[in-house]
Amino acid sequence: MSSKTTIYGFLFVGLAVTLALIVAPAVYAVSLSFYQMDSFIGAPKWAGLANYAAVLQAPEFWRALVNGAIYALGSIVFQVVLGIAFALVLNETFPGRNLVRGLSILPYLLPTVVVILTFKWMVDGGIGIVTKAVEAMGLPPINWFESPGAAMASTILVSVWMWTPFVTTCFLAALQTVPQSLYEAARVDGTTAVQRFFHITLPMLKPILTVVVLLRAIWMFNKFDVIWLLTRGGPVGATENLAVLSYRRAFNLFDIGGGAAIATISFALLSVAVLVYFRVFPLEDD
Amino acid sequence: MAEIRLEQVRKAYGGVVAVHGVDLTIHDGEFVVFLGPSGCGKSTTLRMIAGLEEVTAGTIRIGPRDVTELEPKDRNIAMVFQNYALYPHKTIYDNLAFGLRMRKMDRAEIDMRVQKAARMLGLEDFLARKPKQLSGGQMQRVALGRALVREPDVFLLDEPLSNLDAKLRVRMREEIARLHQDVGTSMVYVTHDQVEAMTLANRIVIMRDGHVQQIGAPLEVYDRPANLFVAGFIGSPEMNLIEGRVENGHFVAGSLRIALPPGVEASGEITLGIRPEHLALTAEADGVAFTVRVIEQLGAQTLCIGEAGGERLRILIDRVDGWSPGQSIGVRFPAARLHLFAKSSGRRIATAKQ
Ligand SMILES: Nc1ncnc2c1ncn2[C@@H]1O[C@H](COP(=O)(O)OP(=O)(O)OP(=O)(O)O)[C@@H](O)[C@H]1O
Ligand SMILES: [Mg+2]
Repeated sequence: MSSKTTIYGFLFVGLAVTLALIVAPAVYAVSLSFYQMDSFIGAPKWAGLANYAAVLQAPEFWRALVNGAIYALGSIVFQVVLGIAFALVLNETFPGRNLVRGLSILPYLLPTVVVILTFKWMVDGGIGIVTKAVEAMGLPPINWFESPGAAMASTILVSVWMWTPFVTTCFLAALQTVPQSLYEAARVDGTTAVQRFFHITLPMLKPILTVVVLLRAIWMFNKFDVIWLLTRGGPVGATENLAVLSYRRAFNLFDIGGGAAIATISFALLSVAVLVYFRVFPLEDD
Repeated sequence: MAEIRLEQVRKAYGGVVAVHGVDLTIHDGEFVVFLGPSGCGKSTTLRMIAGLEEVTAGTIRIGPRDVTELEPKDRNIAMVFQNYALYPHKTIYDNLAFGLRMRKMDRAEIDMRVQKAARMLGLEDFLARKPKQLSGGQMQRVALGRALVREPDVFLLDEPLSNLDAKLRVRMREEIARLHQDVGTSMVYVTHDQVEAMTLANRIVIMRDGHVQQIGAPLEVYDRPANLFVAGFIGSPEMNLIEGRVENGHFVAGSLRIALPPGVEASGEITLGIRPEHLALTAEADGVAFTVRVIEQLGAQTLCIGEAGGERLRILIDRVDGWSPGQSIGVRFPAARLHLFAKSSGRRIATAKQ
């Protein structure tokens, strides 16, 4: 077989897999949003833009959009700030460093369900360790899932807990590529440790920061499992984002077209956001 | 400007001693080169002067100040790193200005110094660029410039030219020599290239395994190496070293018998050294018979490698054409050019002339 045939062979297989597993379902999902459907069995009825009109007129859509933005922004900010802080600590030499580095990635390796269950136990009203601790400090009990603010805080807290290790790992890898002599030159140049962070570490981390923030933003904006398992979007929709709303609409309220419309809008919004993001933070600078 | 004084400066990493007590005074305005093979402790010593490495014991003074415990920024030193260590995301201008800004110098003064350094180093056209957009030689100049603008008491340079190609290395060597003449500030320069050391230094500090072997002017260490190590390390091609013994005013090794200068206080086992360029060729009858095995043409000179009296010898002579291996010729060992070393300690044995 000539090398050209080989290349076309691989190209064909790759394209076929992409088409079958990514493009086709996406096109199918988008097309669903133009039909009126209450199950996958009955014949779909053409609905034009009616699903979109209905979805956009419902206040719950706008609420979910805002909730999603708060949740994504909140968890990214904490993940990135804590991720950098932990990476800086783990980049120092201290006894048992490798063990601590290994352990710190653990939360990321656990299945979401396990993390959520652990968290629920920890804040359990009767036996939770956090509840006991709050009690011991003489503070009033926190209603983790009943008050809207606390529920949003819980989802953010759990997400930060789960994904900070990923961010830490990315930054730790990047920190190790910063030449030591840059810090030495800066020490000779008369900088303090804080100045070295802002003049060397942060600029050197910028490329990875750009990518990590983008990846986390996309994942967090589309997050479903954490919210669904933790709060089901409650109380009364206080933690419901577009992903949860779309699911609820399609599978609990049997409005598949409406759910698909929400998913499509969410996809479009995210695409625009990513384009804008790359405009503002180009990957290749100078 | 200031004198730098190291007193019994030591560095140990755990149980490994990298630098054994070094005593050294670098005079105001002097160009001192640390020379030695890899791992001998040159960089460690330099970095202790810079304050980037803590001393295990000993004292470092710059001028009247004891700087042993001071941070690098408080020592008034400037350093040039082997890999340049330019801030990659800052422009050349900002790279040069950074150290001055951190010292809260006023803008006009910073600009004046940066422009002056840029002029001296031919960097005027690159000030707006980032380091990535420069060639290796240009980056090296920026690294020099960053040290220059600081107007420090001493420049510390750790193998600054080793990342450049041979041609550029020679040119930058000249530039550094010129720079030293222009600014007149003390420089301490680390290299393992003896040509750099010979051409740049006022004094060379030769190190091995964390010990100073000899300190002296380039020609001093060339003319009177203090021990076998220095004798073998300085000079290219390497000095011929022959092990033998002293018998009635003669050096004897195998069938080789060489008259020693009168008045030499040597006896027993010694090592005789003579530089390839100091061996003289004569008619076969007048000297020791030398058989050529390999001929290396260096252009202006010819290096003949062969043997005399069972000993391997390198002889460097003015260019000869048309010789071939197997050639026989006489070789003389001028008494004034002989170096003698005690075999046990490797130390130089004084001859009357010196
Ligand atoms: N951080 C360290 N920990 C342990 N040993 C070290 C450390 N830094 C240097 N050494 C040891 O100290 C000795 C001297 O090192 P140094 O870097 O001063 O050598 P050098 O003369 O500069 O060599 P080169 O020409 O290769 O740069 C070496 O044996 C080295 O292995
Ligand atoms: Mg070194």
